[in-house]
Amino acid sequence: MEIIKNPHIDFLGKAKYFVALSVLLIAAGVFWIVSGHLLYGVEFSGGTQLVLQFQAAPDVDRIRDAVAKVSPGAVIQSYGDPRTNKVLVRISQEAPETDLDAPARAVRQALADSYSQNPVTESSSEIVGPLVGAELRQKAVLLTGLGLLFQLVYIAWRFKGGVWGAGAAIAAFHDVLVCLAFLAFFRFEITLNVIAALLTLVGYSVNDTIVIFDRARENLLHRRKDSMAKLLNDSLNQTLTRTIISNGTTFLAVLGLFLFGGEVLRGFGFTMVVGIVVGTYSTLFIAVPLVNWWSLRQAPSAKPARAA
Amino acid sequence: MPPALQNPITLWLLLSAALAGLVYAFMRAELRTRAMLFGSILIACGIATWPPYDRNGVPGKIHLGLDLRGGIHLVLQVVVEDALNATVNDAVATARDQATRKGIQIGPAQRVSPTSFTVEGTEPARVKDMRELLRDFFRGGWEVRESGEGRFTVEMSDLYQRQLKDQTVQEVIRTIERRVNALGVAEPLIAAQGSRGDQILVQLPGVADADQAKRMIKTTAQLSLKLVETTAATRETLLAGTGGREPENMEVVSGPGDTPGEPVYYLLRREALITGRDLKNARVGVDENNRPQINFSLNATAADKFSRETGRNINRQLAIVLDGTVYSAPVIQSKLGADNRITGRFTTQEADELSKILKAGALPASLRYLQELTVGASLGRDSIRDGVRASLAAMAFITIFMLFYYRLSGVNAIIALAANLLIVLAILAHLEANLTLPGIAGMILTVGVGVDTNVLVFERIREELRNGKTVRAAIQNGFDRVWITILDTHATALIAAAFLYNFGTGPIRGFAVTLFWGLAANVIASYFVSQFLFEWVLGKRHVESLSI
Repeated sequence: MEIIKNPHIDFLGKAKYFVALSVLLIAAGVFWIVSGHLLYGVEFSGGTQLVLQFQAAPDVDRIRDAVAKVSPGAVIQSYGDPRTNKVLVRISQEAPETDLDAPARAVRQALADSYSQNPVTESSSEIVGPLVGAELRQKAVLLTGLGLLFQLVYIAWRFKGGVWGAGAAIAAFHDVLVCLAFLAFFRFEITLNVIAALLTLVGYSVNDTIVIFDRARENLLHRRKDSMAKLLNDSLNQTLTRTIISNGTTFLAVLGLFLFGGEVLRGFGFTMVVGIVVGTYSTLFIAVPLVNWWSLRQAPSAKPARAA
Repeated sequence: MPPALQNPITLWLLLSAALAGLVYAFMRAELRTRAMLFGSILIACGIATWPPYDRNGVPGKIHLGLDLRGGIHLVLQVVVEDALNATVNDAVATARDQATRKGIQIGPAQRVSPTSFTVEGTEPARVKDMRELLRDFFRGGWEVRESGEGRFTVEMSDLYQRQLKDQTVQEVIRTIERRVNALGVAEPLIAAQGSRGDQILVQLPGVADADQAKRMIKTTAQLSLKLVETTAATRETLLAGTGGREPENMEVVSGPGDTPGEPVYYLLRREALITGRDLKNARVGVDENNRPQINFSLNATAADKFSRETGRNINRQLAIVLDGTVYSAPVIQSKLGADNRITGRFTTQEADELSKILKAGALPASLRYLQELTVGASLGRDSIRDGVRASLAAMAFITIFMLFYYRLSGVNAIIALAANLLIVLAILAHLEANLTLPGIAGMILTVGVGVDTNVLVFERIREELRNGKTVRAAIQNGFDRVWITILDTHATALIAAAFLYNFGTGPIRGFAVTLFWGLAANVIASYFVSQFLFEWVLGKRHVESLSI
């Protein structure tokens, strides 16, 4: 059984439309993020997040009234499967470093006082002091950047041409931006798990690109007479079935994670689901066209000398 | 299981020997080495992993992270300035004492920053003596500068500061370890972290009472016994005689009085008779009225000094100061020995916690909380259920798809995937790394990458078959050509995983570890084991077609 028999799709010819689409999408995303629509999870913004499990089905309005007395402006919403009686309380007010859990204690006390008929049976909390958030944000940006740089260097070394590394890295960077835009559009919070997903995505996107670059490198050895454009396009077509099957299965696996992985992994799952689609797209329509565009400008340097 | 088989190495040798027998009986010569290699690796992995979770009282080999089993994760910052301040204060006292002893008249001597102090107004005739004195006493680790008119500045060297910082953090870690041990937490993790080296990570899995644990860790527990000069109801009356300023060798400390809400102020001698360091033991007891109290005993040297000093100060009040509060100030009735007590308004639990903390020793510096994560046990169980459900859904789908699309070759891929997961679990068990919820996500991604490796090879084999190659040559070429691709893709993904590992501790590190070893195991399982399976199944006979 085969999905597509001998595909001959002109990817490079259509690339300009997709590049335009990407630019538009990223521009919209950057605008949306710069105008303050990217939500940060408690790890990055600092503050307190509680997940409270109640004995019986909780009445969110009554909880809101009780919490509002000690911590006005707290966000209260039901959490996860409604049958588990869980409620999430998010307090953005910064906790003092000498007594970090004071706001959390105040909320628990307020609930025990004015909603005593339905006691909290168990709770989880995440409290982040103001110092940590800023440090983590810097670290996230730094590590994503460094991760990309090292991958770029590795590919440039293996393919003996900086343009291959740059193509893969720019495509991966594109994926990170598009994912951030989607996270902002769909109002997902940037949590540590989401950052992990983004870093994984960088690896995955580069991985996907390399498979095609590798095929191009192999073709370059046998068919020195063909133009770079034809060669790259053939490489895309030759690996198309693999692209669809591999990315399709991984897509479905992370879709399962998004749908069944529970509340904690929802953001992670969403980022991966978007990321795998975007990662595949960017390989076909960003990374390979970039290499082609560069080789049209200065033909000799783009060709790798030999397969390593 | 018989006792001899309880030893994992014996078990592994026995099973490997059994495998060797089977391999030599049934397998072709050129396959035997690889069969033994892969077989014994997988047997070792199986033994390392079994039992994966707690079973019939045998602890599971896979360690669950805090997010799955519940517990506390704290990041604390050591306020290193505390230790620096204390050291400089000691130095100021030394300088002053020595000057008095040598009969040198000096003006004010005081700490001017966390790392330096100044001595001013040295009598002009003795400036040379003072210089020699300071140079002599602050030779190692300090720099003495002179700015004329009998003024000296003494500053800690950078090296000494760093040493002091490291020592302080190490001492804090050891103290927290002792306190956590008193709590009876299994498998605690207490380690320094952060780029500046002043942060401490504390992980306490399975702890239910988070508040108690936090109190036990954070209480500084600086105990000192000091002589009382006078007492008063306000600070102002206490200092009225000295012009509103604390005399140089005195300090004002408050404590709860007899009526609640009305504290009592004490003017105390700055020098302590006894500090927490002099304690040999501390435990909870009860007083004559059956109220909880803390009994403590002193080590021999301190007991001698204490006995001498209390004998000299009978009928004076002795204040028991703990973390800047006077707990009680009994009148010294007679010469006291090694065994003493602290009374106050404790509940039994407070007295119990305090005695444990005192026994574990004081923290050399105060702590600030940077981050706190607590996970309830049942919420952890929910996460496990969700994670397992998501993994099963992913595996089931991939299995069905591979069998449907690649038919018999799909079976090969699934065996390779199972081997891949087994190797990852064994490595996790061996490293005692924690399996976290993101770690489970890492497993699912590992499966994704594993499928990709198989798909790359299978598609290449199909392509070779279409180009008219024989089955054997197609398989050979398929694996050979794909090797470089797999090398490059895995190397870049490993770079990403390595950066993730450095991102931090806790759940994300669990993810990075799983992904990293998942990728490494994938090369063995989905490439080498899969290749071996093809060769084994095809055998030596001539094959016309391949089920792929």
